[in-house]
Amino acid sequence: MRSLSWLPVAAAVLGCAALAQAEEAARPAVEWSGEVRSHLDPRSANGSGLLAEADRLSPGLAPAQRSGATLEAGVRGHGHGLSADLLLRTQRFEGGAHDDTARFNELYASGGLPGAPSWQFSAGKKIVAWDVGYGWRPNDVVEQEERRTLLSTTPEGRPLLQLEQFGAETAWSLVWANPTHLNTPRRGADESALALRYYRRDGAVDWHGFARFGEHTHASIGAAAAWVATESLELHGSWRFTQHADGWAMAPGIGNAVVTANPWQPARLGAASQWLVGLSWTNADQLSVLAEAWHDGTALPDSAWDAWNTRTRALAAAGALPGLPAPALAGIAGNLAWQATPWDAVNLRRDNLFMRLSWQHDAWQPALDLLYTPADAGRVVTASLAWQGDRLRIEAGWRRYGGPSGALLAQLPLRALGYLSGTWTF
Amino acid sequence: MFRLIPLIAAALLSSGATHAADDVPALLKAADRWRLSNEAMQVETQVQVFNKDGSADKERRYTVFSQPGHKSLVMMRSPAEAGQKVLMLGDDFWLLMPSSQRPLRITPMQKLLGDASVGDIATLSWAEDYTGTLVGEEPCEQQTCVHLTLAASRKAASYQRIELWLGKQRHEPVKADLYVQSDKLAKQARFVLDKPQAPTTVTEMVLLDQLSTHKETHVRYLSRQNRSVPETWLNPMFLARNPSLE
Repeated sequence: MRSLSWLPVAAAVLGCAALAQAEEAARPAVEWSGEVRSHLDPRSANGSGLLAEADRLSPGLAPAQRSGATLEAGVRGHGHGLSADLLLRTQRFEGGAHDDTARFNELYASGGLPGAPSWQFSAGKKIVAWDVGYGWRPNDVVEQEERRTLLSTTPEGRPLLQLEQFGAETAWSLVWANPTHLNTPRRGADESALALRYYRRDGAVDWHGFARFGEHTHASIGAAAAWVATESLELHGSWRFTQHADGWAMAPGIGNAVVTANPWQPARLGAASQWLVGLSWTNADQLSVLAEAWHDGTALPDSAWDAWNTRTRALAAAGALPGLPAPALAGIAGNLAWQATPWDAVNLRRDNLFMRLSWQHDAWQPALDLLYTPADAGRVVTASLAWQGDRLRIEAGWRRYGGPSGALLAQLPLRALGYLSGTWTF
Repeated sequence: MFRLIPLIAAALLSSGATHAADDVPALLKAADRWRLSNEAMQVETQVQVFNKDGSADKERRYTVFSQPGHKSLVMMRSPAEAGQKVLMLGDDFWLLMPSSQRPLRITPMQKLLGDASVGDIATLSWAEDYTGTLVGEEPCEQQTCVHLTLAASRKAASYQRIELWLGKQRHEPVKADLYVQSDKLAKQARFVLDKPQAPTTVTEMVLLDQLSTHKETHVRYLSRQNRSVPETWLNPMFLARNPSLE
């Protein structure tokens, strides 16, 4: 059944490519660019988090946080109505493990409809990024790009069909994301969904309206605006309401008991709202400040994290009891490790504050940023320095997770991680 | 044919210094035509930056689509910036970084962060973006020049004040001092013509940074052709698309 679902998509891609080819028959140019990047990624494990405790009770249970080295090449090209972004990557980790990747981040056909150049289409694997925020984007409902990564990378696009219409001041975009996942149980960004964006430019303000219908998360609507208030100051805001969202829920009645199966299971959560407000300010000396605050109603509420903390402490205390047999210790360790399951979320806490300070001075760009969760005073501090030459770019950075011992960010498996990267473009 | 326009304009305008002094807008239009022959153009520019000691720092290539009504689309062509685009519609600006494919609204100050503002300089129109007053005639670069003070007529212009010197006979741009919002001298520019004895066009602009780095930037006009782009290209959301430029 799944292979059959590819047929209409493949036909659409081929049809679109033929349309684009016909439109651009007189335009033979193919443009290429690329880069080769090498980076070292030192990591420092958290010695006091719950996974460290689980590993102490049952050695080898928690995956080790290994430092690594990466060599990757990216090649981008477009012409004849086709666009491609190819990534080749090999990674080596401490202890000899390795991982090799070859994939297209983007591969799609696009062009204008014959006789109607204001109508544009795309079909294939493509990055479609929406919304106005930087630290997080509630209305990035197609790509759902991972934000605040330590070393910026090109995200992997989504399979989609897209139809757009452009006017002088307005634009419409209709996307069918993940058409091949229709009638298959997929979560998050992999869910088959229809998404619509309306854009309107009104002088110094950009207005955006969004609507999405996911196969199992159903309807959501949103709006966003970005306003250049002065020559130095930009203000932005975004809001979204969704009927349902993918998340995690703990099986009822578990409490602090040691159980034999992961009590945390994927769940379709109820209605929730999400919002973000922020500003960016840049002065004549090229000093920039970005400040944002956001609320993610699809993240676990504080009450759920309080219960999570209580259960985690209870399990740790149970594991510290003297004279427990090895099977009991392994059971407690497994329950502790399962407590890490809901960390697989875009935002751990519902309320977040983000600030970034950067300075562009000739070829150098130092930056410092902070993510802070007021509910438990958790924090992530990142410092970075980049140098851009003619073709060579050197970057280094260091990120540290911290806060009080009860803060979620202080319990993550990593205490710190860094990178040293060199990129050569061609 | 378009190369004759500056000469014809210069000939008409240089019929008398008094006449020129009375018609500063016409002087600016004549000066513009040494760099821009038409309102709708595609300009290929090469930007070379040299350190204070004369060593090469970097090289950038830009394709600038300059359209009527203060509309410009700058596409970065160098390997280090390939895929980046800046759209300028009057006082409003957007940036597209290829890794995100998301058009970002940026402030005038953020526009100055990148090298694209240099490409912007290459196509700015003195006649459209500034109002001028005649200061007088002064000796400059082994000739007599007409000295003009230009004040930006748009708040988002990269340079709020320009002191401009034009050749008295042909009204070709000779040199300029560019001042930012705080009235600090940011750059000094001089203009290189194609043929010293019978010049027809500006081939290069040399900018000397006076604010911080004291680097020298050479903006070379590789080609200029009349080109009107489709209206859709000037929609900010269209930045995420890859139209063929040929």
